Amino acid sequence: MPGARLDSKSMAQRAAQEVTAGEAVAIGSGLPTAIPSTLPSGTGVWFLSETGAVGYRASSAGMMVDAARNPVSAMGGGAAAGVGDVAAMLAGGHVGLAFVEAAQVSAVGDFVHWTTAETPGLAAPGFAVDLASGAGRLVALMRLADDSGAPCLVDQCSLPIDGSRCVSLIVTDVAVIRVTDGVLELAEVAPGWTSDDISSITRAHLSLASNLREMTFETPDLSWPNKVFATASEALSDVPDGAIVNVDGFGGPGGMAHYLMTALRDQGAKGLTMISNTAGIARVARFGVPEGVTAIDHTILVENGQVAKAIASYPVSPSINRPSAFERAYQEGQSDLEVSPQGTLAERLRSGGAGVAAFYTPTAVGTLLGEGKEVRGMDGRQYVLEQQIIADYCIIRGHKADTLGNMVYKGTSRNFNPVMATAARITVVEVDEIVEPGQLNPEEIVTPGIFVNRIVRRPEGFSPYLETA
Amino acid sequence: MSTEPGTSLNKVYGSALESLAGLQDGASLLVGGLAGHGEPEGLLEAVIASGARALTVISQGAGAPDSGRADLNRLVESGAVRKLISPLPFHPRQGGPVKDLWEAGRLELEVQPTGVLAERIRAGGAGIGGLFLPTGAGTRFSEGRELREINGRRHIFQPALRADFALLRAASADTLGNLVYQGAQRNWNPVMAMAARTTVAEVDSVSEPGTLDPEMVITPAIFVQRIFVRSD
Repeated sequence: MPGARLDSKSMAQRAAQEVTAGEAVAIGSGLPTAIPSTLPSGTGVWFLSETGAVGYRASSAGMMVDAARNPVSAMGGGAAAGVGDVAAMLAGGHVGLAFVEAAQVSAVGDFVHWTTAETPGLAAPGFAVDLASGAGRLVALMRLADDSGAPCLVDQCSLPIDGSRCVSLIVTDVAVIRVTDGVLELAEVAPGWTSDDISSITRAHLSLASNLREMTFETPDLSWPNKVFATASEALSDVPDGAIVNVDGFGGPGGMAHYLMTALRDQGAKGLTMISNTAGIARVARFGVPEGVTAIDHTILVENGQVAKAIASYPVSPSINRPSAFERAYQEGQSDLEVSPQGTLAERLRSGGAGVAAFYTPTAVGTLLGEGKEVRGMDGRQYVLEQQIIADYCIIRGHKADTLGNMVYKGTSRNFNPVMATAARITVVEVDEIVEPGQLNPEEIVTPGIFVNRIVRRPEGFSPYLETA
Repeated sequence: MSTEPGTSLNKVYGSALESLAGLQDGASLLVGGLAGHGEPEGLLEAVIASGARALTVISQGAGAPDSGRADLNRLVESGAVRKLISPLPFHPRQGGPVKDLWEAGRLELEVQPTGVLAERIRAGGAGIGGLFLPTGAGTRFSEGRELREINGRRHIFQPALRADFALLRAASADTLGNLVYQGAQRNWNPVMAMAARTTVAEVDSVSEPGTLDPEMVITPAIFVQRIFVRSD
């Protein structure tokens, strides 16, 4: 006689062991909604919900809700966002792990979401398809057999699937099963259960893990990994030659990460592709720059011979008599150039961050910048196909960040920063002030810390101008 | 100095019904909210009262039935809706009017993954004609669709989605239509605000321009044509 089947709380506790420190973890509807409360409230993990809660904790007094519409509140450092924002975090690859409740999982890791099974003839997945397509790793929670005794672990799903070959681990009410290359491996059994007991209630073939063990229910103690670097040089020490770098700023020196930019120059990585609105015109345009000083801008990277290519919307000086350093480098054949209209550049970055591979925009149709691009007519209008951009690094300026990387900006220094932050593998931010999690209002956070990897404080009195006579 | 409602300087309407002026049979509506959270209840009630029929509604879907509130269930029950586009049209275990009318053949349902729907609406609001997303490749959501291999991964073409009206819920507005939200209200509302010819926001309070912190405004007034202030 096998032991009791696990209740949903025990399943959630076992599932919580899959979470790693600092990770963004999306919690699907149904059984997974029990996972966040199995961990201490200070746990160093972002729990995300399809409802737009980013970094939430269970709370009966909360102003946000989870996928089961239970009230939750922002953790210290959590933010309120939209449904589409969380979907974009998933599609853009910013979420390491997602939990779903499955009605069926197949031997190759296909799965059917519980809502699809509950709406016969319609197959409505809610957020499940997004979780399956976007998360780095998908863990399914389900019972090994349903109320009628029918197995939920199957050779092939009998209902329309919500994700193809995406489940890597299944936490059930009697066992934990790994899915690897079409093989189902029994890894853990619930207390009182044997591998034979498990095999007797599923038709799918299970191989036994060499280290088959009993399930445990202790949840991990996870602290936040540190994102705060002492200096800009330390935060940029690993930028390799040939890296693609998003560099923020608009035209003048405002909203530009002067401290990081200077460190990148001193670090010396060569052959960079620099993505920015201008390729550095603050020095020649002098927007708002006082007499007698010279603004730090992209020019310092160009003059240092680090920029092999720029992708920009306004790469030239406003005056033909005062060419920018990039213009000269381009004319001398030292740097390559790709021009994107300003809105298209922003949209290409936004697409990179949101997992949109390419999009059709009416901007630049029939102009030089539309040449050579696929044109498509839709609803009586012509569009050109533009590709996403994803950089290796991003250096941007914010106003305040908390230690988890949540950021707020000030005025027009917002410019390209929030969108660039989403479109890089490593986003490094320079801020005037670093505060503790919870000190920023969840409703005012513009860039959630999920997008931020490294934080440096701009030294007090750091000058945005070069020392010149 | 007061200005006429419906001008660019005063978008505040006297009632929910007045704020829906011009809503016609066959119109398409983006409806913000997540079943009971951040739904424009007063505007939904006014849609029923307006008598408009054969509507297409784009929304998260209906929640549990018998909520006692003016919700999507009640709108569908009134017979005003011909088609619902949603990731989860009705409560999967409790059913309700959406399920009943669909099963009776009186309501058309179109299911789309949540993020696909959000991205299509965002594209509509941003002037993008369509886009390629990997979400749903290898499932029924890629069947019969235009597929393209990009960066070594299968992507599905998704056309932009716009509507005649967007009905939103926000916490407060200024008279120009700048909106701030609270907690779960954020859900679908900001993205839907961008994608309609006429966007109507139901808010708890309205204030003079300049009273909202510019750094806190989530939906800029440019996207909002009309405001209805709840009286509760």
